[in-house]
Amino acid sequence: MSAVTGLSFRDSGKLGLLLLISPLLLWLSLFILLPHVDLVMISLRERVAAREYAFSWSNYTAFFTEPLYWRTFMRTAVMSILATALTLLIAFPVAFYIAKMVRGRFKALLFVLCLIPFWVSELVRTYGWMILLRETGIFSGLLQWLGWVDQPVEMLYNDVAIMVGLVYTSMLFMVVPLVTTLEGLDDSLIEAAYDLGGSHFRVIWDVVIPHAMPGIVSGCIVVFMLTLGNYLTPTLLGGKDSLWFTEQIYTQFITRFNWEQGSAFGMLLLILSSFIVWAGLKLSRQSFTRVMT
Amino acid sequence: MQAQSSLKEMDLECRGVTKTFGDFTAVEDISFAIPRGSFFSILGPSGCGKTTLLRMLAGFQSPDSGDILIKGRSVLNTPPNRRPVNMVFQHLALFPNMTVAENVAYGLKRRNVDKHEIKTRVADMLSRVGLPDAGGKQVSQLSGGQKQRIAIARCLVLNPDVLLLDEPLGALDLKLREQMKVELKQLQEKFAATFIYITHDQSEALVMSDQVAVMNHGRFEQVGTPQALYYEPATRFVAGFVGESNRWQASISARDERGFRLQTEAGLSMQADREIGDKSASQNDWGVGKSLELFLRPESISVAPGHQALGTENAYQGHVESVLFDGARSQLLVRIEGALDLLNVSLPQTAEFRSIRKGDSVSVGWSSAQVQCYEV
Ligand SMILES: Nc1ncnc2c1ncn2[C@@H]1O[C@H](COP(=O)(O)OP(=O)(O)OP(=O)(O)O)[C@@H](O)[C@H]1O
Ligand SMILES: [Mg+2]
Repeated sequence: MSAVTGLSFRDSGKLGLLLLISPLLLWLSLFILLPHVDLVMISLRERVAAREYAFSWSNYTAFFTEPLYWRTFMRTAVMSILATALTLLIAFPVAFYIAKMVRGRFKALLFVLCLIPFWVSELVRTYGWMILLRETGIFSGLLQWLGWVDQPVEMLYNDVAIMVGLVYTSMLFMVVPLVTTLEGLDDSLIEAAYDLGGSHFRVIWDVVIPHAMPGIVSGCIVVFMLTLGNYLTPTLLGGKDSLWFTEQIYTQFITRFNWEQGSAFGMLLLILSSFIVWAGLKLSRQSFTRVMT
Repeated sequence: MQAQSSLKEMDLECRGVTKTFGDFTAVEDISFAIPRGSFFSILGPSGCGKTTLLRMLAGFQSPDSGDILIKGRSVLNTPPNRRPVNMVFQHLALFPNMTVAENVAYGLKRRNVDKHEIKTRVADMLSRVGLPDAGGKQVSQLSGGQKQRIAIARCLVLNPDVLLLDEPLGALDLKLREQMKVELKQLQEKFAATFIYITHDQSEALVMSDQVAVMNHGRFEQVGTPQALYYEPATRFVAGFVGESNRWQASISARDERGFRLQTEAGLSMQADREIGDKSASQNDWGVGKSLELFLRPESISVAPGHQALGTENAYQGHVESVLFDGARSQLLVRIEGALDLLNVSLPQTAEFRSIRKGDSVSVGWSSAQVQCYEV
């Protein structure tokens, strides 16, 4: 009894705070911290005999000594960056058009048009591209009908197909943050820059892009993460040779039952994505909190 | 020859400019010319088309018909970034991602002016608008009045032929607005630039301008000096919009060579001169029974305590209904015997009115030349 009354007001305030953030802490530790700690532990051991493990760096050294692994790794990173850049290039004019050029009902319609592909599952969406691009597909047929080629062409299972699929999948996640930030841009700023003698390019460069920067960076982070961690699209559109790093992880875990190697790959992917996001933020001089709020 | 040379001195000229949005005519057949170095205001109620007109001058909208000339040359086909006019926006539109100096330098950079020259011109401009040390500051660190001056400096540094200002004082508080009014006028005189200033605040327009255009429903009702607008409003709208007035609905009960005998609906009878007020209608055609609207300025009413002969054509007895004290702009509300509505009378700043109270009896009167009559 005395212990309870002895609690000062300050202490009870702290207790309240603790109660408030405990769901957050629970969520963080249970679903994020715990699996990753486990991942690190598994990745740092080696099976010496059945059910017998010892500490070892071998899973990590295997990554650096086996060219296929780190080449796939680098390829995934470069392709993801490229896909992010392409998505940004395509999404920016679209977002600008939606945010600044159209009003009312047409605006809502365009937004829904961007959203519609996401009403079906990624599998179906990707399958749609396969129908278009495969050897007996619509594009191939069209080219033959036009007489531009005289035999069926296979447009699937190459890097371009992967890229098309990735960009298509990522569009919405770039358009939404861009539209949101661009809508906050005062039209009179654009007009003022134009009035002071800026060309179209200068107005976009000096006024629109600086204003949209938080949206650009947050869109890029989301798209990059999604692309880097994407499994379905590269596998389906790229076929056996897609060489996507998530595939390697999948193979280790599921095909080879090599959880140790898979965990190491998982950790490496995490480090890679964190590093690239960090570098991107540094380059664009944005802070993570500003971008994500 | 005469017309040629006078045309050259005009910085800006509009000829029959019209703009419609669908069925709605926002600007209708507006023509005017502004001489170099003058301060021209466009005064009008909200929604009358002021911004639309200004945006056409700046080039953000193009007129459906008519022509816009700057220094005698049509600019209809010149995009806004190459027109020799600059605009100060209602909410100033300073670039938040640039410093004050970068804001001022922006236009010069776009004109590929040499770096050193930009630096000296920006510093010079900042000191001329009274903010020599503000260059390195962020826009968000400036006060409202300072932002105002930077927005103007950003345009003036380019030596535009015409500077357009769209209600630039609208966002400021009253005190600052009074101060900026004077500063703006001084800036304009210092730079000898042509200003076109939009406002719905008549005091801003009257204080600063050489010429004022009163706009209503997309048309210019009257263009003239502030004095002309105030003392000789050409239309009923101008008489009602510019300055304060006592207003009456009235009809003509008799007429002679000098003027009209008028009977207001509120029961007041008065004499008014001919050729005062309405310029659009021919007053000679006005016959007995015609309905008019009358305007009378509070300060053109003579007032004296008690019963006195004022010697004006129109003289009445009444008593004070209330005293509205507001320093130099104090007014009396006087109820004239036998009339229904109250009369606004400026309170003379003399000793005998110091002690005037509600209920005191007063004599009021005004000359027949002070009553402005307009057709309804
Ligand atoms: N782009 C547009 N499309 C349709 N109607 C418009 C457009 N721009 C202006 N209008 C209409 O034209 C009229 C005049 O607008 P404008 O902005 O010129 O008024 P204003 O005199 O500047 O008013 P305020 O003092 O409130 O700024 C308004 O009734 C407005 O609804
Ligand atoms: Mg306006």
